[in-house]
Amino acid sequence: MKPTLGSYRAGASPLHRLPAWSKVLVLFVWAVVTMIITDPVTALGLCAAALLLLISILPAPKPTLKGLVFILLVAAATASYQVYRGYVAAGIDIAADLVGLFALSLAVTGSTSMSDMLDFTSRIARPFRRILPPTIPGLMFAIMLRTIPEISRIMRESRDAARARGIRRNMTALMIPTATRTVGFALDLGAALHARGIGDEATSDAPPNRRVSLAAPARTD
Amino acid sequence: MIEFKEAAVVATETGVPILHPTTLSLDEQRITIIGANGSGKSTFARLINGLALPVSGSVRVDGLDTRKHGALVRRKVGFLFTDPSAQLIMPTALEDIMLSLRRVIRSKNERVNAALAALEDIGLGGKGDVSVNALSGGQRQLLALAGVLTATPLVVVADEPTTLLDLRWKAHVGALLQALPIQLIEVTHDLEAATKAQRTLVIDEGSVVFDGTPVDAVAHYRDLMYRKTKETRS
Repeated sequence: MKPTLGSYRAGASPLHRLPAWSKVLVLFVWAVVTMIITDPVTALGLCAAALLLLISILPAPKPTLKGLVFILLVAAATASYQVYRGYVAAGIDIAADLVGLFALSLAVTGSTSMSDMLDFTSRIARPFRRILPPTIPGLMFAIMLRTIPEISRIMRESRDAARARGIRRNMTALMIPTATRTVGFALDLGAALHARGIGDEATSDAPPNRRVSLAAPARTD
Repeated sequence: MIEFKEAAVVATETGVPILHPTTLSLDEQRITIIGANGSGKSTFARLINGLALPVSGSVRVDGLDTRKHGALVRRKVGFLFTDPSAQLIMPTALEDIMLSLRRVIRSKNERVNAALAALEDIGLGGKGDVSVNALSGGQRQLLALAGVLTATPLVVVADEPTTLLDLRWKAHVGALLQALPIQLIEVTHDLEAATKAQRTLVIDEGSVVFDGTPVDAVAHYRDLMYRKTKETRS
């Protein structure tokens, strides 16, 4: 199975060593620059650079290639429309921008662990802490990533259940159990967050500093 | 340490009682809870860490009321769910443990080291960067347990923690739970596991119908189920 969405893989490449904020900043600046520059040669150069950066982190080959093929198809479709309208240079520029940005975003997510991203999002959310506890946006993002493979599992199981009862190609028989079971999963996940005290920091006081291991007794009473 | 005082739970929509007023205290280090499906044993277990709240009466852990001090109670009471998939929140094993530690350890390096140590302790050394989706059911339950333990609870409440596991993992997770140096309250359908305790409660139709030694409790439960089966058939 695909490791995680964003396919983070531990490594020691220069991109892995950079802090999360700098990578997100580069991605942002890159996006702005590629949008401003409309010269196809520069766009192709930036695209090639982004692809090299992606290769430098040694990403998981299969999901990366799959993703690239998909974006190449999208880019080709967009470019051919532009070429059809007579704007060849714009076609090349848009296609190169799309592929380059996609490759760079893969390079960033593939070289930044979820906890680094969480730390980063908590930090940028800090100024808004009166409205939103700083840990919440990152946590929401992590939960979203975690939920995607679960929903696809629930969907697969619902489809199998429908098939086992001889029902095929029936959207209702697929979507209703998928939707209700997804809500069930969300409730379980909510209970687990609650049980683990995650998100409590916004409302409660300083933590205890004890550690329970399997070997050493921690109880004193 | 854990005190139920006339604690009762009622289904919010229908008003059907889920747990009749119950008064007891749970002090033994190893307590098991058995009962039929839908008997109210999960609700009973969830009352202990405030995941469920009594509509009347109270539940106290270490003198703290679960209604008033929910967050503090949950720090003292770790909860292990039947399905570990819902308990694991982060995409990889290491990150999931680190999430539990965020509140306790501020320094990131220390947090990584503590999380690696926790994985090693539980027998998941080297699995830190593995996606939780790629772990087996047994490994996920181990990871969930490691997450619970890193939060340094005084009590672990486990709601059928081995129901979804195969025989090998059932034995392994069961042995790890038994080896915990803290109080363990386990809800289980595994009658053999149920006897590995100092005290066993039998819950039926929302009431604690037996409270005593595990062997007697299992006998009581078997008898109860036998009678019910006969009633259904006749």
